[in-house]
Amino acid sequence: MPSRPRSAGQVTRNAWERLLVDPTLGVISLLLIFALIAAFALPVFYAGNNIYNLVGTIITVMILSIGMTVVLISGGIDLSVGAVMALCAGVAATLIKMGAPLFLAFIAAILVGIAAGLVNGLLITRVGLPDFIATLAMMGFASGLLYIATQGVPVIGYMTDEYYVIGGLRPLFGPVTFPILVAVILALVVGWVLASTKLGTHFFAVGSNALAARQSGIPVRWVKTQAYVLSGTCAAIAGIILAGRNNNVPADLGTGYEIQAISAAIIGGASLMGGRGRVFGAVLGALTLALAINIINLAGVPSSYQKIVMGVILILAVIANYLSELARGATLRRQAKRLSSIAA
Amino acid sequence: MSQENGSPPVSSRTRPLRRAIALGASAALLVALAACSTVDDGSSISGKGASGSANCGSGDEQSAITAAVKGRTLKVGFAPPILSEFYTQVEKSAFNRMSELEECYGIKWEWARQGALNDAHSGVEAVGIVENFISNKFDAVFVCSAAAHATMQEIYKAGSEKGVDFYQFNSTEELENPSQADDPTAGLSTVSNIGYDDRWQSGYIAGQYLAKALQGEGQIVQILGPSGSDWTKLRQQGFEAAISEFPGMTIVGSADGGYVRDKGLTAAQDLLTKFPDIAAIYGENEDMALGASQAIDLAGLKHWDGTKGIITIGADGLISGMDSIRQDKLSATVDVNSVDMGRTMIDTLFQHEILGMTVAQFIQIPTVVIDKTNVDWAEAKIAASQAGSGKY
Repeated sequence: MPSRPRSAGQVTRNAWERLLVDPTLGVISLLLIFALIAAFALPVFYAGNNIYNLVGTIITVMILSIGMTVVLISGGIDLSVGAVMALCAGVAATLIKMGAPLFLAFIAAILVGIAAGLVNGLLITRVGLPDFIATLAMMGFASGLLYIATQGVPVIGYMTDEYYVIGGLRPLFGPVTFPILVAVILALVVGWVLASTKLGTHFFAVGSNALAARQSGIPVRWVKTQAYVLSGTCAAIAGIILAGRNNNVPADLGTGYEIQAISAAIIGGASLMGGRGRVFGAVLGALTLALAINIINLAGVPSSYQKIVMGVILILAVIANYLSELARGATLRRQAKRLSSIAA
Repeated sequence: MSQENGSPPVSSRTRPLRRAIALGASAALLVALAACSTVDDGSSISGKGASGSANCGSGDEQSAITAAVKGRTLKVGFAPPILSEFYTQVEKSAFNRMSELEECYGIKWEWARQGALNDAHSGVEAVGIVENFISNKFDAVFVCSAAAHATMQEIYKAGSEKGVDFYQFNSTEELENPSQADDPTAGLSTVSNIGYDDRWQSGYIAGQYLAKALQGEGQIVQILGPSGSDWTKLRQQGFEAAISEFPGMTIVGSADGGYVRDKGLTAAQDLLTKFPDIAAIYGENEDMALGASQAIDLAGLKHWDGTKGIITIGADGLISGMDSIRQDKLSATVDVNSVDMGRTMIDTLFQHEILGMTVAQFIQIPTVVIDKTNVDWAEAKIAASQAGSGKY
């Protein structure tokens, strides 16, 4: 049946309503505010390679936050991503230094990331450890392993011409770097999995109400384990890229990255209570964090204010998400009312 | 720092510099003496320097000291703020000296290392680590920590009462004891503090190097460590003091590089966006300076070639940075002398714990700016100190 032609007003209203119910409305608003501040107060923001640099800076956190979003949606939290990322970076760098082909070194690093995620998942779902404790233990284990292997001395001397490209220090084509391409593909694939596959629905179901999900026949333990495996894989990919960008792998490479990844996911609309989140939101959340640091540096704000600004952003993002949730509820109620009046 | 802000006139800056140079020269002499043969009151400690075969002194000396050692085993704790390349260099250099003393005088060592794994700058972990060494009845502990001065001194005091001697290394005691000339031991519960003055032996000489290379003209940006860090505070103070002596030089911007390369790279990229015409980047440590060097490459700008381009200077003196200096990616670095620091720590410990000697409360080791002209010598010296079993 051909669809009924819609008036311009109706199209505008529908677009507006779609925006209001979008869970990433909060972070979009925040990004817009930052962009406006930058536009008016810091003309240099749009100069030269700044935007390009900004994206290059945040790719690692972006990739980590994609995996973290899936873990948060399924009702968990992964504190080990920074340490696992560093360990995988160390594995890749050491193998290349020992003469292994890049491809094999990267496969090995990814396998380590998958193994770390699998262990996290099994500790949580089979042994029954709380997510926080299991991933905290993995954080210590992965970090300690790298310290023992390197004795605190950074791994160096592994950079090859190809690795400069993989690390994003040389563009792939035009302004596009390999890390940007990887982040985009990863975001699209994971976004598609969450939005359009049974597994995606299971992640949301497990995070919203694990008991109800189990009673509906969803293999809750397996679904949650898969979320951690995905997070470990993302950490490995991030590690491979960061080792290329950094030119060395110090033992403390991953310090603080877990907090940034969690912050990006939360800013992007994910909930610590589970059942809520969006990959696109996490990507924007990571961009928001990078943008804030960029503005601070460009404005010459003393670095002591950086942490305060980050805290304020987190609170603003949660408030913006809350307001967006209210707007979403109101819009959905309005739509339901309209539908029921049409039906009547 | 400008004079309008109330800083002392330029000439007064030379006094601490002279003092630093004098202290550095004295320390160098002490180190040389310790490394070669006899030290002050007739007691001998022999060695082989950073490399070469062990020289244990004359037969009589060797027998006398060996008798004093009595085959004793010293149980020593090593607590750096973090396990990094710099502290590994210090530790390996210490190992090198320990093995020389073991070979000459039969002293045995039991060594335990424990550094913070999470936040090197919080100092919280350091407190726990040092307390752990105390409860395990170590003879002596070497500590470098970002924990509050007063907190650590109280812990040292409590540990000393239980028979543990404390030695600080690479610390920032110069900040906590401005009146050390009047009372060098005021408020200190350590046997000795082995290090250098971050202001005049690191920040200041980096600034002087830039000024000389740029002939007193140009804009500079700084990549600093975390705000609140004492190392950052002191090095920045010395650097700004040096730059303030040259009216043609201006520090136009600074950003936090968190003492790590990727943050240093990001900070430098932001600063280069805002100030594309700068002449120099001062990275307060070497990793951040190497990050800044990458930012120069990414921005398509030129590194300093001796006449033009951007000069990048860092501070630490890491083996991993030497190739970058050779390739003109890093113009220079202040070598804060991990080699002599490690060796002097062990010599001081040996003198005090075994020979019962008094040792100076502040032992300042010499530092030097390394650039392409002396990188081979500097690298060879560090590399030689890292040779050996590498374990204790």
